[in-house]
Amino acid sequence: MSTFRSQHSGWALFKGLAFASPFLIGFGVLYAWPILASGWYSLTDFSLFKAPRFVGLANYERMLADDKFWKSLYNTLYFTFVGVPVDIAISLAGAHILNMKLRGQALWRALIYLPSIVPVVAAGFLWRWLLNAQYGFVNEIARWFGLAQPNWLADSAWGGVSVLILMLWTVGGTMLIYLAALKDVPVDLYEAAELDGASHWRRFIDITWPMVSPVTLFQIIVLMIAFLQVFTQPFVLSKDPGLTAQSAVGPGDSMLTYSIYLFQNAFMFLKMGYASAMAWVLLFVTLAITLLVLWSAKKWVFYGNR
Amino acid sequence: MQTFSNRSVRNGLIGAAATLALGLGATSASYAQTQITFSYLWGGAEGQALEEIIADFNASQTDIVVTGVSSPDTTKQLASMSSSRGAFDISDNFASNVAAWADQGILLPLNDLDIDISDFPESAMKQLVVDGQIYSLPIATHNFQLVYNKKLLDEAGVTPPTTTAELADAIAKLTKVDANGNVTQLGLGLSDVSAGLKTLGYAFGGDWNRGDEPSPTDPGFVEGVQFFFDNVVAPVTPEAYNRFIAGYGPYMSDQDPFVAGKYAMIFEGEWRSKFNTEAGMDWGVVPVPGKTPELLGSTWSDVSTLFIPTNSPNKEAAGVFLKYLMSPPAMEKFSHVLGNLPARLSLVKSAAYDDLPNFNVWLDALNSPNNHGLPASLYMVEYNTDLVSAFDQILQGSQTVDAALKSVADRSASYTR
Repeated sequence: MSTFRSQHSGWALFKGLAFASPFLIGFGVLYAWPILASGWYSLTDFSLFKAPRFVGLANYERMLADDKFWKSLYNTLYFTFVGVPVDIAISLAGAHILNMKLRGQALWRALIYLPSIVPVVAAGFLWRWLLNAQYGFVNEIARWFGLAQPNWLADSAWGGVSVLILMLWTVGGTMLIYLAALKDVPVDLYEAAELDGASHWRRFIDITWPMVSPVTLFQIIVLMIAFLQVFTQPFVLSKDPGLTAQSAVGPGDSMLTYSIYLFQNAFMFLKMGYASAMAWVLLFVTLAITLLVLWSAKKWVFYGNR
Repeated sequence: MQTFSNRSVRNGLIGAAATLALGLGATSASYAQTQITFSYLWGGAEGQALEEIIADFNASQTDIVVTGVSSPDTTKQLASMSSSRGAFDISDNFASNVAAWADQGILLPLNDLDIDISDFPESAMKQLVVDGQIYSLPIATHNFQLVYNKKLLDEAGVTPPTTTAELADAIAKLTKVDANGNVTQLGLGLSDVSAGLKTLGYAFGGDWNRGDEPSPTDPGFVEGVQFFFDNVVAPVTPEAYNRFIAGYGPYMSDQDPFVAGKYAMIFEGEWRSKFNTEAGMDWGVVPVPGKTPELLGSTWSDVSTLFIPTNSPNKEAAGVFLKYLMSPPAMEKFSHVLGNLPARLSLVKSAAYDDLPNFNVWLDALNSPNNHGLPASLYMVEYNTDLVSAFDQILQGSQTVDAALKSVADRSASYTR
């Protein structure tokens, strides 16, 4: 009996593994192995073409004295810590508007989402002209209202802001997720609060915010990872229109993000070992911030009775 | 070591063809043909010119069939050279990558092609030879001279400058600022910041890579960069300068500031001859003004290169095709269609370039002692990236010339030698 059970469970295990094998093989070959390999490469002098040479922690030590590493890390954290809260705020406010009973609401919702389906590179080139200091629409509108007309793409004080604008242009995706969350908030809670004389702000703070807080937690983590890995938007915006393919990454390297500097080291300078070490540092930075957010979530995320 | 003598290739191909013909009773020559892939970074009209040359080669013999593929992605080019069997047999790039790629072992040494390199400019070959081995061959060379808008100079009563003092004077007369402090015309512009400032460094007797080492604080080089800041940027303020240049569009388009008549003078490569003429511009070109008469025409040579990757599946056939591309007729046709300088000194006096206006100024520089070539160096790409960042800081007015170039000198200590 026990032999039969043993054989049966062995067969069941085999069948289970066989059915899971597409994922297991895919995960092993495409994720686990490259991750482990990059860990090893981060301890070596490696260029893709020659055999890696073990150098211990030299790549990590080099980061400490590399001013461009710190510049790229600073820029990336700036984009993250400014961009994520602004993205959340705009999305939540916009979701409220999209939740109102407005004429043609379906069309507004579609229009808000439209930028999210425009390819990032095409959008980047479009925004290069919109943000053109002399002839761009953005400065033209600013001129109508008598506002300052910054040199968006060629002034180091505005380069980072330009990247944030391009990233926030696709805020519609986040907004629609919030819209779905708002639809899930029980209407009777608002009715009860209204009967108690609660103001709009009070209702938002005491009902809406806690009820959508699980979605907010999800949005923060997803957006934070996207901002920490940002590459395409600054890469396209900083593309030199002149003869050279790629000059400084934005004025004063203000658009030099961590991912771009990692790319430069890996594929331009052929320092794959250093780039691998940078990738691991980014992983730990992302992990640390994510754990911090999850830890703080105990204090502000409301799961109802769950 | 692979060999590429014509005889061995021919014998090998004839042998293979004979075996196939006897064994299969086939009569078609196509069974013996070796297929090779030429992946090139050029596109558009340049790509079409290459396709014509490829068609000429395919029609000239029956042993090898070349397929051209336009692939302007250098990262993809590099990645495909990391596999054991490459996706292409021959490709192109620029001289700045040769040393680093040779060091990685991904470029096939080409000494055995038995090409007479004495016809190539020394300034070009210097960049393609590492430890005595030729790793790439020059299909075209480039240098920079002072191109000017004739109409704007005539209106301002300025004659083309020959010294840097005259250049400073011309810049002052040709720069226009409106009542609000906005620049409306710039006396001297830079279509490529890095190339332009390096050229000015040479014009002041400097060298940004003196003694085959990074020398960003070389006095002459610093003086050249300072000249541009003092005469072009500072008089109009960095803010106004950057706002002005930010308003323009892609290089060599209708929004190009030189085409739009907003730059009176620029340091430009020879390809501008064909472009300016096709754009209907009234333009001229003079050698780069020098600080002293001996420094007149100081410039530097960049090189468009062809190479065979070590993972090419058909090295010998690629070698045969590479030799064809380097032959004077093919090179002449290629460089003429692109409006590039040939890499053969014997072609300098060719009548084929007579229809390219003012082209002789760039052609003559090929033989000039003031045409500098850079050595093949492992650090060149990283060094160039750092220089571009420093130039940007200078033009932004956020760092002095000395401080920005000193920071490059500090970073250069970590470059791979």
